[in-house]
Amino acid sequence: MLKMLLDPMGGIVITNDGNCILREVDVSHPTAKSMIELSRAQDEEVGDGTTSVIILAGEMLINAEPFVRNNVHPTVIVRGYNYALQEALSICEKLALVVDVNDSERMKSLVQSCIGTKFSSRWNDIMIDMALKAVLTVAREIPTPSSLPPVNDAYSQKMEVDIKRYAKVEKIPGGEISDCAVLSGVMFNKDVTHSKMRRRIENPRILLLDTPLEYKKGESQTNVEITDEEDWNTLLKMEEEYVENMCMEIIAFKPDIVITEKGVSDLAQHYFAKANITAFRRLRKTDNNRVARATGATIVSRTDEIREEDIGTGCGLFEMRKIGEEYFAFFEECRDPKACTIVLRGGSKDVLNEIERNLTDAMQVVRNVVFDPRLLPGGGATEMAVSVGLRKAGLKVEGIQQGPFLAVGEAMEVIPRTLAQNCGVSVIRTVTQLRAKHAAAYEEIENSSADGAFPKCNWGIDGTSGQLVDMEQFGVWEPFSVKIQTIKTAVESACMILRIDDIVSGSKKKGY
Amino acid sequence: MSAPNPASTGLFINGQRETGQDVRIGNVTAAISVANIVKSSLGPVGLDKMLVDDIGDVLITNDGATILKSLEVEHPAARVLVDLANLQDQEVGDGTTSVVIIASELLRRGNDLVKNGIHPTTIISGYRSALKAAVAYIKKEMVVNVSELNDDHLIQAAKTSMSSKIIGKESDFFAKLAVDAVKSVKMNATAADVAGYEAMGQSSASNDSKARFKYPLSAIHILKAHGKSSLESHLIDGGFAINAMRAAQGMPTFVESPSAGEPVKIAMLDMNLQRHRMGMGVQVIVKDPAEIENIKKREMDITKERIRRIIDAGARVVLTTKGVDDLCMKYFVEAGIICARRCNREDLKRLAKATGGRVVTTMADMEGNEAFDAECLGSCDSVREVRIGDGEMLYVYGCKGHGASTIVLRGANEYMLDEMDRALHDSLCVVKRMLESNTLVPGGGAAEAALSVYLDDYAHTIESREQLVIQEYADALLVIPKTLAVNAAKDASELVAKLRSVHAKGQHSSDEADAELKFMGLDLIEGTIRNNLDAGVVEPAISKIKSLRFATEAAITILRIDDRITLNDSKGLAR
Repeated sequence: MLKMLLDPMGGIVITNDGNCILREVDVSHPTAKSMIELSRAQDEEVGDGTTSVIILAGEMLINAEPFVRNNVHPTVIVRGYNYALQEALSICEKLALVVDVNDSERMKSLVQSCIGTKFSSRWNDIMIDMALKAVLTVAREIPTPSSLPPVNDAYSQKMEVDIKRYAKVEKIPGGEISDCAVLSGVMFNKDVTHSKMRRRIENPRILLLDTPLEYKKGESQTNVEITDEEDWNTLLKMEEEYVENMCMEIIAFKPDIVITEKGVSDLAQHYFAKANITAFRRLRKTDNNRVARATGATIVSRTDEIREEDIGTGCGLFEMRKIGEEYFAFFEECRDPKACTIVLRGGSKDVLNEIERNLTDAMQVVRNVVFDPRLLPGGGATEMAVSVGLRKAGLKVEGIQQGPFLAVGEAMEVIPRTLAQNCGVSVIRTVTQLRAKHAAAYEEIENSSADGAFPKCNWGIDGTSGQLVDMEQFGVWEPFSVKIQTIKTAVESACMILRIDDIVSGSKKKGY
Repeated sequence: MSAPNPASTGLFINGQRETGQDVRIGNVTAAISVANIVKSSLGPVGLDKMLVDDIGDVLITNDGATILKSLEVEHPAARVLVDLANLQDQEVGDGTTSVVIIASELLRRGNDLVKNGIHPTTIISGYRSALKAAVAYIKKEMVVNVSELNDDHLIQAAKTSMSSKIIGKESDFFAKLAVDAVKSVKMNATAADVAGYEAMGQSSASNDSKARFKYPLSAIHILKAHGKSSLESHLIDGGFAINAMRAAQGMPTFVESPSAGEPVKIAMLDMNLQRHRMGMGVQVIVKDPAEIENIKKREMDITKERIRRIIDAGARVVLTTKGVDDLCMKYFVEAGIICARRCNREDLKRLAKATGGRVVTTMADMEGNEAFDAECLGSCDSVREVRIGDGEMLYVYGCKGHGASTIVLRGANEYMLDEMDRALHDSLCVVKRMLESNTLVPGGGAAEAALSVYLDDYAHTIESREQLVIQEYADALLVIPKTLAVNAAKDASELVAKLRSVHAKGQHSSDEADAELKFMGLDLIEGTIRNNLDAGVVEPAISKIKSLRFATEAAITILRIDDRITLNDSKGLAR
């Protein structure tokens, strides 16, 4: 289900995204605040699983409570939790399955499971295709240093996928959701500066600038004292000449399109229009960067330093289109675009915002898989496997820690439980059945006496019908990194909160 | 505090005056209440405090100094304790909680003695002689000289220090991190430093012929980035990370040496690479309008020339604390240089030290020309931009200058990171002290228990009234093992009694086999007594001695007070 949030200004947000919901909610309890931080960290790190991390951390705390009430020392609980975390991670690692990033069928089912719960699930196919295409477009190999000192593996990624910068989502209210598309190029919301300029160019030569094409005063304070009438005229003329010079320098390279981040004066527009050049002004830096990457141009900062290599020729078609009431510049059919724009259409602003959030989640999932192609079964299957695994392992743990150790296992069950609850089937029956399935898998392994073998039981809950299904066949997978991150964050934060035994409020402000 | 005492207001004081026992009781109560706040955070099973300030910001910590620092303490005597914790934090870096607890216990017992008719000056001199005896005993008996410190000892000490903290559960990992970090910044101590150590009385351990080293902790840089798990924190050995990103997307994400053996040069600037502008109030008056154009052009060229000089000097990475104009980016992009702007100046200074370069504030030379000295460039093996969480950082690998290292901490959220930072800082301090002083004492209440037994015996040899005081001092030290046991929810009285009897046996027996008994301390997980030296619960001796000294001095300061005059605000004038 979605949540509708009203902020004090009267704005509304309709969302299903855990982080988004919590960000809007104003809480005053310090512990609750730290929970919200969790969801933010999760969002920034992996971009998905923001809801699960909160549910899981909450459940960890709930399950710790009986121990605290029975006078088990919090540090003992914390220790138990940490053992359990290690165990859970190793179980996950054994369950993991490596996927081929280029296998689009697998990837599709993966993304599907991610945005299955979301609002846009009705247009699943489009969304999935879009997410895949966008990510694969912006993915590029990082030129790896040959003699890299050994670093932590997590940071020596070979691929760079910068969704934040190079996959821009443009939301245009109106139209239908099925009109959404990923451009093989970029698009921005700007009109040409002069109505006479060309509005459709094939294979344009594109020049990108970040300098104003108008007369600009120097940085130093300069005063001109004019004593002579003539001087005034020369001054004016100089200004004109200055602009003319710049334009001529540009025109010498025969670009078809000139885009600058700053202003373009009327005079410059005139020269461009005469030279049959289409000009855009006041483009955002980030947009300019995207155009640069899509078309292969370099952003030039001084007109007298333009070189032939700086001009981008990678774009196949430039066209101005009018959508709704506004004009948009499209740079499409780029050869090897390394940046893209995703055009979203939909009924209203709120719908679009939610679709954007869903799409971002989906893209993050794809990105995570590109980085780490390991998958875990979704639909609560991983959690149940961990839970059952922990229960088995827990019986061997010595000392009081055993209780908390087992409690982590129980807490993991909250995910399948919540899944079952949300699709309206009998919670207890479903979860028990699922547990039995997983436990049976363990029995089998033990009976078959294969040493070191690990039961790969992928049974989970189908989020729509509430039936038990084998996730392997059903095709619901989640990225390894997201799952792992969720479990780690949940346990660690639960530990932190458990360790608090005193709240002192009204301490003094920082820096005073 | 209360109404003015009519008997004592013979003076016309605009304010209140308290004397004698009243003020002493007031002071002691305040000190004890401060100590009670931090008491429950002591020891490996101590818990954390959550501090909420008036805006609602949250701080979660276990560090005594941090807790007290963030409290608004009004009472002057309590303030002394807060300052005491701060002092310990600065001097030693660890043991802030225990120093406060000992001081408050000394005060409480001192106050009781006064009530029983012993004059404060006697108490003070008693405390002093007890302190002297205690320090002498630690140095003579408790200290274990570790002539060749190996990593095990260091890791043990680091683990002991962080055991009470949030990272205690992963102490194996973090202790190693801390030890590696401190070792990586090892550098030769100057003569002045050595003299400093000797003055502090630390020279006992090492022979002077050996070169001394120092370990400047300021060279260890701690960066925090939330996300991932705390176990994914890592140390960049001989490297440096700076929280900055490439200024333009066209720049390469990494730079490495073009050929083997040739380092990557880093320029560190503390100046603007923006279009040059005249200082405030400078007016340029030109006659010829054409000159204006030239001024404009020159403005751009000045910066351009500067950049050219930097590039020509061989810099492959340019970091500046100020801004860089967009129009300058292109030069860097074309030269394949990583440029980052708005870096933290402190970070740059550290990086300069680490890479053997200098932070350049101006390019002007003595002749008034501009030049960029290639000497100022730092060198390293490679520089690379790394995506962490949602942001980017520049990693500098293989710095060629003095040691420097960066620890990148990861954790669930900001509060956790802050607390990890504090905990790690404590451990770093401990490791540093160990390396510098080469001595250690057993922890877990062992040293305190031994001192207590020893002082008790020592008291019997004193014939004056100070005997009582020294006995009280001996008892006061037991507050540490007691609190440890209480925090662990163990039977404090029984455990401490056992501990004392073991120590008494060790000290009184002449049997060689019993000599080891002085290292017996508490095992708080099992609730038993064990040899803490073997169990690896150790602390640097200097930390123990200092915390005793500080605590005693603080207690004495407060006990000496017998009169308190609080002046009323003279209206409108003061403050």
